[in-house]
Amino acid sequence: MIEVKNISKTYGKKDNVFKALTDVSFTIPDGASVAILGKSGSGKSTLMHVMSGLDKPETGEIIIDGKNILTLKQKEVDKFRSNKMSFIFQSFFVQANESCYDNVSLPLEIANLSAKTRRKKIEVALEAVELMDKMKAKARELSGGQKQRLAVARAIVNSPRILFADEPTGNLDSVTGAVVEDLLFDYNKKNGVTLIVVTHDPDLASRCDMQINIKDGKIESIKGNK
Amino acid sequence: MKIRDITIRAGRSLKQAKARTLLTSLAIGVGAFTIVLSLAVGAGGRAYAGDIISSNTNVHELYVQSKQEGGRVSTAPKKYSNDPAINYGGGVSVKLLKQLDIDKLSAISGVKSVTPYYMVSPKYVTTAGQDKYQTSAETFSSSIKLDYVAGNSDGIEKQGVVVPDGYREVFGYATAQDFLGKTVQVAVESGSSNLLQPEIKLFDFKVVGVIKQSALAVVNGSNGLQIFEKDMKTLYDYQKQGTALYGTYMAATVIINDNADAKVVKTAIVDAGYDAKTAEDLMSFIFQFINVLQAILIGFGVLAVLTSVFGIINTQYISVLERTQQIGLMKALGMRRRDIGRLFKLEAAWIGFIGGVIGGGLAVVFGLIANPLISDALNIGKVSLIIFDPLSVISVVAGLVIVSVVSGILPARKAAKLNPIDALRTE
Repeated sequence: MIEVKNISKTYGKKDNVFKALTDVSFTIPDGASVAILGKSGSGKSTLMHVMSGLDKPETGEIIIDGKNILTLKQKEVDKFRSNKMSFIFQSFFVQANESCYDNVSLPLEIANLSAKTRRKKIEVALEAVELMDKMKAKARELSGGQKQRLAVARAIVNSPRILFADEPTGNLDSVTGAVVEDLLFDYNKKNGVTLIVVTHDPDLASRCDMQINIKDGKIESIKGNK
Repeated sequence: MKIRDITIRAGRSLKQAKARTLLTSLAIGVGAFTIVLSLAVGAGGRAYAGDIISSNTNVHELYVQSKQEGGRVSTAPKKYSNDPAINYGGGVSVKLLKQLDIDKLSAISGVKSVTPYYMVSPKYVTTAGQDKYQTSAETFSSSIKLDYVAGNSDGIEKQGVVVPDGYREVFGYATAQDFLGKTVQVAVESGSSNLLQPEIKLFDFKVVGVIKQSALAVVNGSNGLQIFEKDMKTLYDYQKQGTALYGTYMAATVIINDNADAKVVKTAIVDAGYDAKTAEDLMSFIFQFINVLQAILIGFGVLAVLTSVFGIINTQYISVLERTQQIGLMKALGMRRRDIGRLFKLEAAWIGFIGGVIGGGLAVVFGLIANPLISDALNIGKVSLIIFDPLSVISVVAGLVIVSVVSGILPARKAAKLNPIDALRTE
């Protein structure tokens, strides 16, 4: 369970203060798929950064599995992210000059796993996104859809509990985008992993169990499909 | 993250920028080249000097003089002493050894024999029917290796003499072989003779060996006639008898027992009130010269390394800027600041390692090619003037790796401090 309590975040100083988030609170049950929906500049990306501990809000609490991650030390937050969270970004952020294998290997290396245990997990992850045949290929040789599938493999390789996806289909056409969407939702359903999708696409949002609408840094509405 | 994994990733990112890595490495390679080569030249020089010393001096030999008055520069005259001395005028004098001193030296433990240095100045040397020539005479020492053109030192104790090849020419012998067995006459003036009517006596010596004047003559000064110790004493006695200097010697050569330590005996002799120099002391100035030369060369190498340090810092800063997004991703994935810092420090370490191996390798190749050419040019035979010690090459490379890591600290810190959100926004 993820509890977000009274989060406020501002950018800038004095005259240029910009309120990115104002008193945001909600609760996400384990294994749910959640869409954080809003226009660009609404604060939805900031919300994701705060929830993952990448950014620190001025006030509020983020309680994951009973622990307020905002009070943890940097080292513990890093460990938390390494073991429990993973990310998918709009512009993939795969390392073009590395092989697919090495791209997927990175989270496991960060988590301090031995080369032998890594191999097994990487193969499973690449199999799940149907990129086994590209294992040794450089990431730059992949198409956009393949790159995002590679990013999905990298995100799921270390069996995270929470999967953040920031506009995962924003740079893809509808067909390849649908493939990536299916991968994410399948993984969410099969493994009971909490999926948090940040998007401005209502169609993608409608596939989620829960939609959180954000406007000007405030929650406009929270809808549940169930 | 495991150090091994970080090292592999660091190596991989360098591979992505091959030209840049290579150029930065070459800068540090210049330093490595200079340092490795100067270490090798220093080692070679010392080995060569050591060679000369061991073939021209005897480790069991000490050179002993009376303790001289301190070398204090003063216009005040020194106190008069009744001890025998040679005055060169201007207050410069050399105190001499007396027979009493020789006996005292002989009694010191570890001393096998004491040979006084006989100062003999022959008037001239000649052979039957030839002109008279100026010459000098010195005591033959079996510990000095001579380069014989003909004959050897066998039979020198029976009124033999070893003669440089130049004498053969002036005495009109075609080959050195012809000169062997011939008699040369050394003329010595009696010290007690009247100045106006000098008493000159001719001493006959048989040529047993003819030597080439080698380059080493500069070191040991052997360009005169070499005569056996006992005969030198005869000449000396004849020349000095009746003079104030009779029974005094400028110096003495002390031969120590085979199992004695030259340094220990030296201390004992110095304690007894004499100046003593071991073979090592006499040649130490050569080592000093080589060391200074080597230090200057290494200084240039260090300067080159210092320059390359800025190259590494610059390259790594650019690398951090280029890979902002990658750093952001790594941080988002939970990579610790310490590990990100290590990644960039290890990249710098790779640059230093590659530079060290390239520079060191080129130095070894260069040395191996140049060595025979230099030996040929200097005509010193099969002597290596450039000697590579694997351990010193390895420690130079290791040292450069450490220097590179230190240079990588600032860029690495910048990378570790990057805000992941800012980094991920870069597109």
